[in-house]
Amino acid sequence: MNELLSLVNFDTGSVVDTLKVRDAKDVEEVVRAAIANEQPLEIIGHGSKRSIGHAMATNAVLDVSALNAVTAYEPNELIITLQAGAPLADVLALIDAKNQQFAFEPVNTAPLLGTPALGTIGGMIAAGLAGPRRIRAGGARDHLLGAHAVSGFGDSFKTGGKVVKNVTGYDLCKLLAGSWGTLSVMTEVTLKVMPKPEAERTLLLRGLEDAAANKAMTAALGSPFDVSAAAHLPKSAFRAKADGLGDVVGQGEALTALRLEGITASAAHRAGSLRELLAPFGTATLIEDMASAALWAAIRDVLPFAASGGLGAWPVWRIVCPPASGAALGTQLARETGGDLIYDWGGGLIWAALPPKPDAHAPAVRERTNAVGGHATLIRAAEEVRRDVDVFHPQAPGIAALSERVRASFDPKTILNRGRLTRSAC
Amino acid sequence: MAIMMPASDQAVLARRSEIVAALRAIVPGEGVIDSLAEMRAYESDGLTAYRQPPMVVVLPDTTEQVSLVLKYCAAQGIKVVPRGSGTSLSGGALPLEDGVLLGLGKFKRIREIDFDNRVVVTEPGVTNLAISQAVAHAGFYYAPDPSSQIACSIGGNVAENSGGVHCLKYGMTTNNVLGCEIVLMSGEILRIGGKGCENAGYDLMGVITGSEGLLGVITEITVRILQKPETARALMVGFAEVEAAGECVARIIGAGIIPGGMEMMDKPAIHAAEAFVHAGYPLDVEALLIIELDGPKIEVDELITRVDAIANACGSTTCQISTSEAERNLFWAGRKAAFPAVGRISPDYLCMDGTIPRGALPKALARIRELSEKYQLGCANVFHAGDGNLHPLILYDANKPGEIERAEAFGADILRACVEFGGVLTGEHGVGIEKRDLMGDMFSEIDLNQQQRLKCAFDAQGLLNPGKVFPTLHRCAELGRMHVHAGKLAFPDLPRF
Repeated sequence: MNELLSLVNFDTGSVVDTLKVRDAKDVEEVVRAAIANEQPLEIIGHGSKRSIGHAMATNAVLDVSALNAVTAYEPNELIITLQAGAPLADVLALIDAKNQQFAFEPVNTAPLLGTPALGTIGGMIAAGLAGPRRIRAGGARDHLLGAHAVSGFGDSFKTGGKVVKNVTGYDLCKLLAGSWGTLSVMTEVTLKVMPKPEAERTLLLRGLEDAAANKAMTAALGSPFDVSAAAHLPKSAFRAKADGLGDVVGQGEALTALRLEGITASAAHRAGSLRELLAPFGTATLIEDMASAALWAAIRDVLPFAASGGLGAWPVWRIVCPPASGAALGTQLARETGGDLIYDWGGGLIWAALPPKPDAHAPAVRERTNAVGGHATLIRAAEEVRRDVDVFHPQAPGIAALSERVRASFDPKTILNRGRLTRSAC
Repeated sequence: MAIMMPASDQAVLARRSEIVAALRAIVPGEGVIDSLAEMRAYESDGLTAYRQPPMVVVLPDTTEQVSLVLKYCAAQGIKVVPRGSGTSLSGGALPLEDGVLLGLGKFKRIREIDFDNRVVVTEPGVTNLAISQAVAHAGFYYAPDPSSQIACSIGGNVAENSGGVHCLKYGMTTNNVLGCEIVLMSGEILRIGGKGCENAGYDLMGVITGSEGLLGVITEITVRILQKPETARALMVGFAEVEAAGECVARIIGAGIIPGGMEMMDKPAIHAAEAFVHAGYPLDVEALLIIELDGPKIEVDELITRVDAIANACGSTTCQISTSEAERNLFWAGRKAAFPAVGRISPDYLCMDGTIPRGALPKALARIRELSEKYQLGCANVFHAGDGNLHPLILYDANKPGEIERAEAFGADILRACVEFGGVLTGEHGVGIEKRDLMGDMFSEIDLNQQQRLKCAFDAQGLLNPGKVFPTLHRCAELGRMHVHAGKLAFPDLPRF
């Protein structure tokens, strides 16, 4: 008898069952059964990012968290092969012990979303949320070298490989990264790891207006000093209390931070040169290593907007735009909505916490963002808000149609995470 | 030719003059070439063993014209092969007898230089080097540097996801492009990405990059530019054993050092290069490493010391460290001239392009030596050692009966060995026609069907560059068919929560 039917009440849709797969074969069978029964599946690891996207019309959950093995870790080859359900925290500890890291600084969304777990490797790739070093080292898409996955045809396929330099066939890894589980269920991935820098130095400028800070970051990123992160925390009435930024930031004051990494002598030398370059913007102070790392972790994880903090009930947007347009876009948005902002990526990434409103200020956010050729994702909002507002940025009709054809080429019956990306598909 | 191309459509060929006239109505003047003599220039790309004059050459100079040409061809069921500068080493731009050769050579303008956002918006026919030259006055450059950079076009770079000597540290094309304007086979014009770090939705730019001209025709590209490193110095280190050189590479990476470039040459390559450019390469070593460190002077000097110590510990027999730009360039001169240098010692050569895990290098070189014996053909190896990208140059003489076939069989065995050792068929040259029939050695039918379904999402008729990359052509309807997993599925007793 078809045990899936006994496990999952496909008829009424009222029972949500979780199917904990043990291997890629299980994934294939679950997906095939779902196809046969024309019932969509929600794919989860630890569920840490489950609240991102639209509510899904699924009544069965495919849980990959038991696919948690480290298949191979070869520090000298700068690669690690992992099953998709491997806990991110464990993997980070493993590679840290060899003084290596994921250079794209994956965002830990747990504080922002108020979830307990850090999530899995599969979730890290499927969400593709990269931290401050995105501007220098690329994103998750740049570090995914190969994958084994089960498509919505119920077939296991592989793409890419276990080497950095590879142009054999279409680079389907790029599509899987950031696809939010709508193309395939990844079962195993090979990722690039990179050596951790020996030292880090962060220059801090205080009291800059957003426009001046944007200019300072542009100057720094256009310098030969190999700046690996550039962020700006505007003066904020909302950050007056505990903001997760530790002692580095005077409460609520504006802070512009620029990071230099590498061997100790080089980082220190470049910090000196950059300080001179930035003299027109004020006298920069310096923090080192541990203090610097703590600041950048707080910016990466958007701690000032943490779910447990004062702005925990506010919707949060993640806006990507041309870096030099950041301040103009951000200040306008903050003025219009009364919201609070954090700029990263030299102005190319804006985290915007906006006062609660049924539409989360979507029309203003999208209009301002479109005007500069950017895009905005409603990363945190109550479910009723996400019912009425597009979480992911609406695309031009031609791109939307092509994207839908691409999606259907992996999953023609829309079995995987149906309705997560677009409201209309619900 | 050992490689079969799709059968020509006789009905299309019969209508050639009508097609030429229709294309002239879209692209006036000299933009349509139909005389066999003039089309000779387009009959081959960098893989010169394969030649085929196209049915007609079209050289549009606006996106609108590209769109109209594709729309016309789609409506008429005519195949189209896009072409940049024609430097592909895998036959990606090999024309089809019944196909339109669509050259993007007239798209030669850099449209915008935006230093504040650190991007250049360019037309696809601009050469790779010209982008760096256009921004050099402000200290910027475009990082990927394929060895053909003086001639190869940025559009071709995107199609092939080109690499180069410095991609270990700075990434390949895919890591350095942000957006594009692309025309689909239907004629539809789309804009993807822009000046921001990331695109919205699925990463279409990511999958278009390296798609070898099978998904669309690119008419504009936005690339990232970087500030030039303050300085660069190189070490030239010789080893008595290939294994020791491989160990040195592994230890440098293991020590957390990512050089700007790390190249290896084996003895035949060293000798050929030295005879050609007299760079002062040691001739009594089995392997030579050229390791370049770039960045601020203080960093480069420190890293040179560290790498020198590692090389010593690995038993290097010679080590020179550049003290001037002239000396650094001399170290590179031999490596950069390796292909023409080999061309001097052999009438013809085939350049292969597999990638292996770095650790498999000694095994791979041993296998190549065995194969060299078996096929009775010489082979010189140059190697992007930092990222495991091997370029064996197989020496043969096309005028000797059977040698080209032997050379191709030798090359195919090398690439199969790369896959066997955990690597891939091509690191930077692309599959094209050259490695097309080996795809089954790396991918299952299911893997390839998934890739071809993606092709269908862009080009449902399969008219854009058919015969490249995939060994078997399938109809989209056939690929899209769902398995009938009839009724009773055995289902495992999955833990239930």
